Amino acid sequence: MKQILPPGVSVGAFAEVLNDFRKIVGNDYVLTGDDLLSYADPYSIIADDETHAASAAVAPASTEQVQEIVRAANKHGVPLWPVSCGKNFGYGGASPRMAGTVVLDLKRMNRILEVSEADGYALVEPGVNYFDLYEHIQARGYKLWLDVPDPGWGSVVGNALDHGVGYTPYGDHFAMQCGMEVVLPNGELVRTGMGAMPGNTTWQLFKYGFGPYLDGMFSQSNFGIVTKMGIWLMPEPPGYRPYMISFQREEDLEQVVDILRPLKVGSVIQNAATIRSLLLVAAMNATRSQYTNKPGPLPDSTLRRIMADQDIGMWNIYGALYGPPPVMDTLWTVIRDSFAKVPGAKFYFVEDRKKPNDLLIGRADEMRGIPRMNEFSFINWTGGGGHIGFSPVSPIRGAEAMKQYTMVRDRLHEYGFDYLSIFAIGWRDLHHVVELLFDRRDPTIKRQAEEVFRVLVREAAAAGYGEYRTHLSFMDDIAATYGWNDNALLKLHQTIKDALDPKGILAPGKSGIWPARYRRSHP
Amino acid sequence: MNRGTVLVAFALLGMDGAAFAADSAPGKALFERHCAVCHAAGPGHAGTMRLTEARGADKAVLEDRTDLDSAYIRVVVRQGLVEMPPWRRTEIDDAALQQIAAYLTRSRN
Repeated sequence: MKQILPPGVSVGAFAEVLNDFRKIVGNDYVLTGDDLLSYADPYSIIADDETHAASAAVAPASTEQVQEIVRAANKHGVPLWPVSCGKNFGYGGASPRMAGTVVLDLKRMNRILEVSEADGYALVEPGVNYFDLYEHIQARGYKLWLDVPDPGWGSVVGNALDHGVGYTPYGDHFAMQCGMEVVLPNGELVRTGMGAMPGNTTWQLFKYGFGPYLDGMFSQSNFGIVTKMGIWLMPEPPGYRPYMISFQREEDLEQVVDILRPLKVGSVIQNAATIRSLLLVAAMNATRSQYTNKPGPLPDSTLRRIMADQDIGMWNIYGALYGPPPVMDTLWTVIRDSFAKVPGAKFYFVEDRKKPNDLLIGRADEMRGIPRMNEFSFINWTGGGGHIGFSPVSPIRGAEAMKQYTMVRDRLHEYGFDYLSIFAIGWRDLHHVVELLFDRRDPTIKRQAEEVFRVLVREAAAAGYGEYRTHLSFMDDIAATYGWNDNALLKLHQTIKDALDPKGILAPGKSGIWPARYRRSHP
Repeated sequence: MNRGTVLVAFALLGMDGAAFAADSAPGKALFERHCAVCHAAGPGHAGTMRLTEARGADKAVLEDRTDLDSAYIRVVVRQGLVEMPPWRRTEIDDAALQQIAAYLTRSRN
């Protein structure tokens, strides 16, 4: 494998820093050469393999080792890119934004330091994934639920820091974060909130401590390396009933979203429910080639056939009721009667679904915090593996949802891609997560995917929609859309970056934030 | 102990299949921990679903296959293969990968 160096670092200086890293973590955990193949983003949209190629990887086992690595990186001016479990696929996986950056692989830091059943929280290191924490809780019989994203292999810490979402009432993961330990870019160690007070026992119970609340600045940022994080866990409720509601027409989306808003804002819908598009649901059980071998948008007759085959709708709500049975019965009556106003709406519980890989059966686990991988099946829809998330945010308004849907659908169809999406309902917002699928082996299709993605970003921004999260390749593009008042926010980020990280060693380019040394020209 | 060594040991000691099965047990446990969520038999497994379409039903379930070899498994795990992402040494170390490969290439006699 071709050796890539960090920009501005000589062969000699790079060899020296790798030697320093070996002294810290041992020979086995400084990875170079062909070992770096497993750090490449397998689903990258960029046709060229070197854009996000790492120069090396170093994998510490402790916070102290992270501090020593950071100090060595400062000494040699070598940039580091922290990853937790490296499973942020669709957004870059384990690869760095800037070619030549050394990946700081935190997977070995996988200790579950504490779980409090009484107070409902866990304190974990970044290498802990959802399966690990779930098994830990089950083995001890704690009556606590996790909140999990669709694939369970990701990091509890990493997902929260990248503003990921799940599907129980605790679905906003960063909102459920409480207390951090952070290695700063100079190697210094800090604890946020109540963790700053020696002997305090409320680090994972009260977020704000005293003074400015800083935890947010360590999310989607390059201001520090989070080595411990508290996450709140939901006490097991006395009852649970997952449900699905399907709608038959594309234009129903508008009415559905307008019905949904007051139910969600008023907590009648208790969880982070989702509205899923036909093809995303169909992809759990079927592939495109089972319906057509022709490129281009699927005709309405085929869409109707898929709906009939799988007993699903053009749009499908997946939600759940939580609480004592009389409470669930009452909430369900309100929800059912509200959506029954949409002509053709159909209502299902798990026992009504017959296919073995029916999505409601899988979601019945996920909406109660049992991690799974079944929904990764969606990448099989077209085959070829490539996928990237386009994720603009809008108000919970029917007209806005329809506007976004038609805008994105039409552009994807124009470029020859299918529309698969989730509208995830937040406390006051809709995350419109569109999965753009492409064949990672075909450079022509990748170029088309990249082109349509850039068009979507521009058109969404022109209509006032910003992405909440993005792939490495588009971080600068998305950051530029948050440019109010002559890029005042980006300038503030840069001011903080330069103050905390004067040598610019931590995650250059993350979220469009470049340190001074790379700001004028970066790879 | 690699597979070749194990086979030699069988021949020398006249061990039966049960003893061999015991030797592949760590690999089976590791397969279940790291691989089965996508590659177990039955619906709901993304890898099995994909292999059914790409290679046919008889090649879809990795644990049932007899045509895999260790070197191929190591390359696919470390570098990924189309839909499957690569796995780093920090996730599955070389010894664990060797055991998984030994399990998937075990003798079926």
